[in-house]
Amino acid sequence: MGKRTAEQLLQELNLRLREWEESEVKERLTGKGAERFHVWYGALANESKPETRSGSGDLSIKRVYSPLDTASISYLDEIGLPGQFPFTRGRDPVGYRAWEWPLCFYTGYGRPQDTNARLKKLYEMGARELDLAFDLPTQLGYGCEHPLSFGEVGKVGVVIDTAQDLAEAYSGLPLEDLHIGTVGNCIGPWVLALFYVLGERHGIPPQNLHVWLQNDPFKEYNGRGTCIFPLRPALDLAADTVAYTCNHLPLSWEPQYVTVSMLRWGGCSAAQEIGFGIANIIPYVEAAVAKGIKIEDVIPRFNLHMSADNDLFEEVAKFRATRKLWAKLAKERFNTTDPRVLGLRLTAVTSGYRLARQEPLNNIVRLTMHMLAAILGGVEHIVSMAYDEALALPTIESTYLSSMIKVLLHDEGYIGNSVDPLGGSYFLERATVDLEEQGQHWYQKVESMGGAVEATSKGYYLEESAKGMYKLQKQLGNGERVLIGVNKYKRKETNIPIEIFMGNPDAEKLHQENVVSMKTKRDRNKVESDLGNLKRIAEGKMAGKDENIVPAMIQAVRDDVTVGEIFDSLREILGEYRPVIVF
Amino acid sequence: MKDHIRVLIAKPGLDGHEMGAKMVARALKDAGMEVIYTGPRQTAAMIVETAAQEDIDVIGLSVLSGTYMHYCSQVMDLLKEKGIEHKPVILGGIMHPQDLPKLQEKGIKGLFGPGTNLEHIVEYIRNIALDTRRLKK
Repeated sequence: MGKRTAEQLLQELNLRLREWEESEVKERLTGKGAERFHVWYGALANESKPETRSGSGDLSIKRVYSPLDTASISYLDEIGLPGQFPFTRGRDPVGYRAWEWPLCFYTGYGRPQDTNARLKKLYEMGARELDLAFDLPTQLGYGCEHPLSFGEVGKVGVVIDTAQDLAEAYSGLPLEDLHIGTVGNCIGPWVLALFYVLGERHGIPPQNLHVWLQNDPFKEYNGRGTCIFPLRPALDLAADTVAYTCNHLPLSWEPQYVTVSMLRWGGCSAAQEIGFGIANIIPYVEAAVAKGIKIEDVIPRFNLHMSADNDLFEEVAKFRATRKLWAKLAKERFNTTDPRVLGLRLTAVTSGYRLARQEPLNNIVRLTMHMLAAILGGVEHIVSMAYDEALALPTIESTYLSSMIKVLLHDEGYIGNSVDPLGGSYFLERATVDLEEQGQHWYQKVESMGGAVEATSKGYYLEESAKGMYKLQKQLGNGERVLIGVNKYKRKETNIPIEIFMGNPDAEKLHQENVVSMKTKRDRNKVESDLGNLKRIAEGKMAGKDENIVPAMIQAVRDDVTVGEIFDSLREILGEYRPVIVF
Repeated sequence: MKDHIRVLIAKPGLDGHEMGAKMVARALKDAGMEVIYTGPRQTAAMIVETAAQEDIDVIGLSVLSGTYMHYCSQVMDLLKEKGIEHKPVILGGIMHPQDLPKLQEKGIKGLFGPGTNLEHIVEYIRNIALDTRRLKK
């Protein structure tokens, strides 16, 4: 028998598949082959669903994948090698072979000194990244004294009114050995100023600090809600933060994580995550370029912050498809082959919306699924939820475990031994191409509307999220989608005791008193002058003058102007956010 | 006499996570009720004012930021002041188990945490709205 061509092999395989469906599969599913396919415990008589769909619903999943499904995919053009265009297999050529997952924590509650106690403990437990969760009064630029802040101070995070508060939160910690940062999406320039002054006050030059800012207003307007100004001024302030960082601060300062995870959590699908995420990066890149930053200096400092969800294969395909689609789109759009522009860094946050309040220990398994998907998908940073997230703010033990899961997977699970180890799977390669195609469709949908700014202003993302989430809720309600402990294996009582975090009920009052006292010790003239300067720049922006607000912010933060004073002044000039009510 | 049950879904305070509230609003609308969804950043005063002006049958509060005790107290007090404390108030979101009895003592009629079936909430609201109307007659 002579050598068969690739074409002949595929034809033979095609025939074999059909025969297989008529024989083995049919026998198994009609009970004919009872002796041959002796059904044991888990086996059912019929496949669960006539049509199987992936976790987000985007992909129709076949019974089995084979070379027939990947015959048209060119390895060299579509898959390639890690570290090379189109980066399907990863941005880093050696992946996790030269890697150690740091213990990273995002935490905060009460007053700065309350959070400091936890940060110190986490540092003793091995933490190398300590990011602060700010409370809502801080994130909204209201500060602890604003009437709307009453009852909210120190609740979902730590209250930070001034640079002194930040210093207190990180007091006694070796800042040069840590990565630090925070979310602060509509307060970007102020957050940058805070960390800048923190370094200054400790005598640490910027090159010795590693600071990350999420600084993405889109995230807030599209499902999280800490919006302060109308959309366009908000984006301009975020762009000021990026521009200042690129011009004045070393690469260890990351000024933006463009965040699409909240859209997925809000009900969007995997392909929408890809398309909307990439669409959201574009306005930020264009704004930075308009402020004089070269694109190859901007992209390396960005991350696309995605979710890590339940369906492992869909997620791995999603991360690969995202890198691939960005590389192709960016190459065309920015007319470049510069790998600094075409290689997109991905961060994954474990999907909090998939966790359950009932039987919370099950969440440890869910988190493991998410992290496994993120690692096999080749992401460069993972943010993880804790298993008690649906009950209260996490305890220190659940926080610690949450970060340790990825370390266990890497150090004990051998999954980092080879780069993109699932690459080559017929299923995965087909899913990657399919998600890339679908992702491109959603990206083009947004672009055809005029881009991410238009889409956000019209509430398009909110509508898509609500549609998807409603579908998901219906599926949970009728059992089509399983949530153990909630619609399957419901237990009457949970007799696993779990400690639930309780904050300090006096935190708000004590901190407010502190701020009042601090204000009496400040140089009032400097405060007035700083606020005047900020207002002048904001007025200039409204008149089309592009002056970067960060230097004025830094001065204001140095002089102990509070977050509330700063943003109240800016609200007067830039206006206030009006929510788009869509449900 | 109005036919449809009128429900106010409100988000008091600074928490901006609206999806839970939106899903309930949508389910109620699909079930034939009239729904007013306030959007985020409502004060207790705004909520009670809307409840009075819009002739609301049931008030639903959604809070995920741990500030529910603060806002429930304020809403219940203001409803009393306005003389409309017969209107049932229900709460959805994240509540500490220790606080559940305290909330019931304050007069919050239904507590719906994560994992609650949407249909269950719709039925609950329908029943309590009709019962309240009957009693008010």
